[in-house]
Amino acid sequence: MTECTERSEGREGMAKRNTAMNVLVVGGSGYLGSAIAQACAKAGAEVRVVSRRGTATVGEGIRGDARLPRLGLPAGVRADVLAQTTHVVLSFGPVAWTTGPGEALETHSSGMRSVLAFLREMPGLEQAVHVSSLLALGRAQGRVTNRELYTGQDFRNWYEYGKYCAERLVRDATDLPVGSVRLGPVLGADPRGGRPDTEHGLPAVFPHLLAGYPVHLEARGDFPSWVTDVSSAAEVVVKALTAPIGRATWTWFDPAMPTLREVFTEVCRAWGVVPKIFDAKPLGWVTRRFGGRLGVAGELTDYAKPWFDLDPAVLRDIPEPWPVPEPDYLAATGRALLEPATVSRG
Amino acid sequence: MPGRPVSVDTDPHPYFKVYSAGNFGEVAPQRLSPMSWSLVGDPMERGTRALARLLWGRPPWAEGTYYVFVGYFGCRPYHNLAACCHLSQTIPGLAPQDVTDAYFEGVDPPAELAALRATKVRQATGTALLLRELRQVGPRLRALEERVAELEWGLRAAVTANSPVALAGVLRDAQPVLEEAWAVHILTTSGLVPLSALQRWVYRRLTRHGAQIAHWLSRPRELVWDRLHMAAATMDPYGPGSFLDSSFYEVADDTAPWRDYAVRHKRASTSAGEQALSLVDPAEAISGMLPPWRSKTVRALAVTVGEVMAGREHSKSLAMRTLHIYRRLLPELSPLLGLDESAWPYLTIREFTDLPTNPGLANRAAPRMHACRLALGTPMPEHLDLTGGDGVPRPWLSERPQTQRGVAPGIGTGTVMSPDDDLPDEPVIIVCSSADADIAPLLPFAEGVLSERGSDLSHIAILSREYGIPCVVGYPGAASLPRGTAVSINGSTGEVKILDQS
Repeated sequence: MTECTERSEGREGMAKRNTAMNVLVVGGSGYLGSAIAQACAKAGAEVRVVSRRGTATVGEGIRGDARLPRLGLPAGVRADVLAQTTHVVLSFGPVAWTTGPGEALETHSSGMRSVLAFLREMPGLEQAVHVSSLLALGRAQGRVTNRELYTGQDFRNWYEYGKYCAERLVRDATDLPVGSVRLGPVLGADPRGGRPDTEHGLPAVFPHLLAGYPVHLEARGDFPSWVTDVSSAAEVVVKALTAPIGRATWTWFDPAMPTLREVFTEVCRAWGVVPKIFDAKPLGWVTRRFGGRLGVAGELTDYAKPWFDLDPAVLRDIPEPWPVPEPDYLAATGRALLEPATVSRG
Repeated sequence: MPGRPVSVDTDPHPYFKVYSAGNFGEVAPQRLSPMSWSLVGDPMERGTRALARLLWGRPPWAEGTYYVFVGYFGCRPYHNLAACCHLSQTIPGLAPQDVTDAYFEGVDPPAELAALRATKVRQATGTALLLRELRQVGPRLRALEERVAELEWGLRAAVTANSPVALAGVLRDAQPVLEEAWAVHILTTSGLVPLSALQRWVYRRLTRHGAQIAHWLSRPRELVWDRLHMAAATMDPYGPGSFLDSSFYEVADDTAPWRDYAVRHKRASTSAGEQALSLVDPAEAISGMLPPWRSKTVRALAVTVGEVMAGREHSKSLAMRTLHIYRRLLPELSPLLGLDESAWPYLTIREFTDLPTNPGLANRAAPRMHACRLALGTPMPEHLDLTGGDGVPRPWLSERPQTQRGVAPGIGTGTVMSPDDDLPDEPVIIVCSSADADIAPLLPFAEGVLSERGSDLSHIAILSREYGIPCVVGYPGAASLPRGTAVSINGSTGEVKILDQS
């Protein structure tokens, strides 16, 4: 009820806000972060990007670190940022399924704490959006919607636990206008150009597949993968800023709901490769045990079965019209992998 | 003894001659009165000897009339660093460095005396026996707590009735309780070192980020201090928490000159508002990341280490409560025994107990007063090297520089606050030269602890782990940081950043 009223108020004020929107993207030089920064700029906002690299594809790039108090910004820059920022997007931290607890908790728990403390100092803050992950749900039990966060689940790795901690902290910060947008694996061509990163997350399996190695997937991958493309994900985040999302949680994935097998098949199509997908538990065991030697992290095999029972109706919490994923973004991911890895990320 | 100047010092051990105040230094006063020493050092020595005897037979170097594991030089209590490091070599897989890191602020261990090394069979048996002993810690502590409570009731009754016989009864009953409390404290303190080494070893083999995981998972679930501070809030002068008001370790903290060394603890009441929905603990989070048997092993070890940490704190609190009984009992009894009011801190507890049958013992106090006055004027080094053999105390010099270390993981940021300040509304980092359980009530409100002294397993590290806040120790000048300075500490790496004050 309250969400609805908030939303309608938001729509009325949207045009007015859009002109004055000054967005700070924390962690905006990454894959998704730069897409968000670009989408914000496209929506007519002034964009500032804080990242450890200090680079930005659009807007002003500032060197900072989410784990440090006050984002580690120098005093002068900090004053400007605090005075001018009206909207904030929190998209820091790599999708690193192999990280240890130290790094995951430093980034997502300590980092989120320090960022929330920074937001409290912002007098003109209207809306902040935390880019969360569906994986914050871990191996959630039962049917999950936007409401659930901890359902007694366990976590497959420290990344999931870190994302859970971050979302928990956001939910507990009841004094701040900060909402969460949960995303599944984000695919599509890298908005910064060049070959996408295949070190972390789901894309880590692509080199393995493209090289013709077999993978084990339960039910041969006939389960929803909850993927989305990077541009529609960024648009949803912008929508969360402008709608605004308030303190709610949204979930976004490609409404076409491709299965994991379809994802693999499409990505490999650009290479003329048919992915070798088997439903063979021993193969999964071998991959987990020795995958590291073939360049595929054992952690990936945790995702070889249906992740959780997510209610597809969660999409309806996002006010329509929904962004439309780029047609053929899965094949575009595969094509992007063919590009030479000459792009400097530093 | 004619011809020799009267001294309160103990004789140095003939083989192990390097001492360290490290573990005492964090928590105990700089100097202890002879009475307090006889209530702290003596039972500790007995407890350690009993443990060594149980685990490794009767090692010849641990027998005799001199103190082996502790020492008292210039009225300062010391642990025998060389003997502790030697004990560590009696456990397979343990290095002397583990002991110095755990309790002695990471100084260099002295060279091993290879001639005294135990055989392999002895080592293995000792380790198995140590594990068996550690299993008994829980029941022993529960039984002990009952006995301490009985003593407290006994003291209340004796003082209220003003009955000398009842007071003497409490004095008689307190001795075995004190010894048991220190014995359990020694057991948990020494047991923690091999246990955490075992934990790290197993984790490195079973998990991907072994060392990190051990750091995050070892947390005592509930320490005794919270309950005691709660009891202290009732202001019952004979209640279990009343010792928190006085100095730990020093029983003569109302008498000069010991008053000047005694650290008075400030009692803050606990009104911790726990978060309604707390985060899932990392120890629970790991359960899904490993196959069932691995995850069970990992969690079992984490719980064991956490429980032994809790046992260490519990046994210490019981020892402190028993000392507090002495603190009130001895001034009551001394006039009844015809003792001068300021003389009792200069006797040992054994002499004090024997006074009724041997009143001449009271004459020992006067020369000791003189000796103590001399000793208190001599500065005593933190780590003591007596290998010179000429009785001159030299500091033990570590070749490796001692650096700050993170002892409880996480990142904390806030403005600095000393434990004596009032709590401000903003996030704070508690800074102190050394810390003990007295700051426990402040920890729920703090973002972290930064201390000048401390080691991996010191009390402040265990307390910080209980509250899940980071702790960095060995940071020189922490206590003198100006108020209002913002600092950020990283308890995983030991990094400390002083931020600008704006």
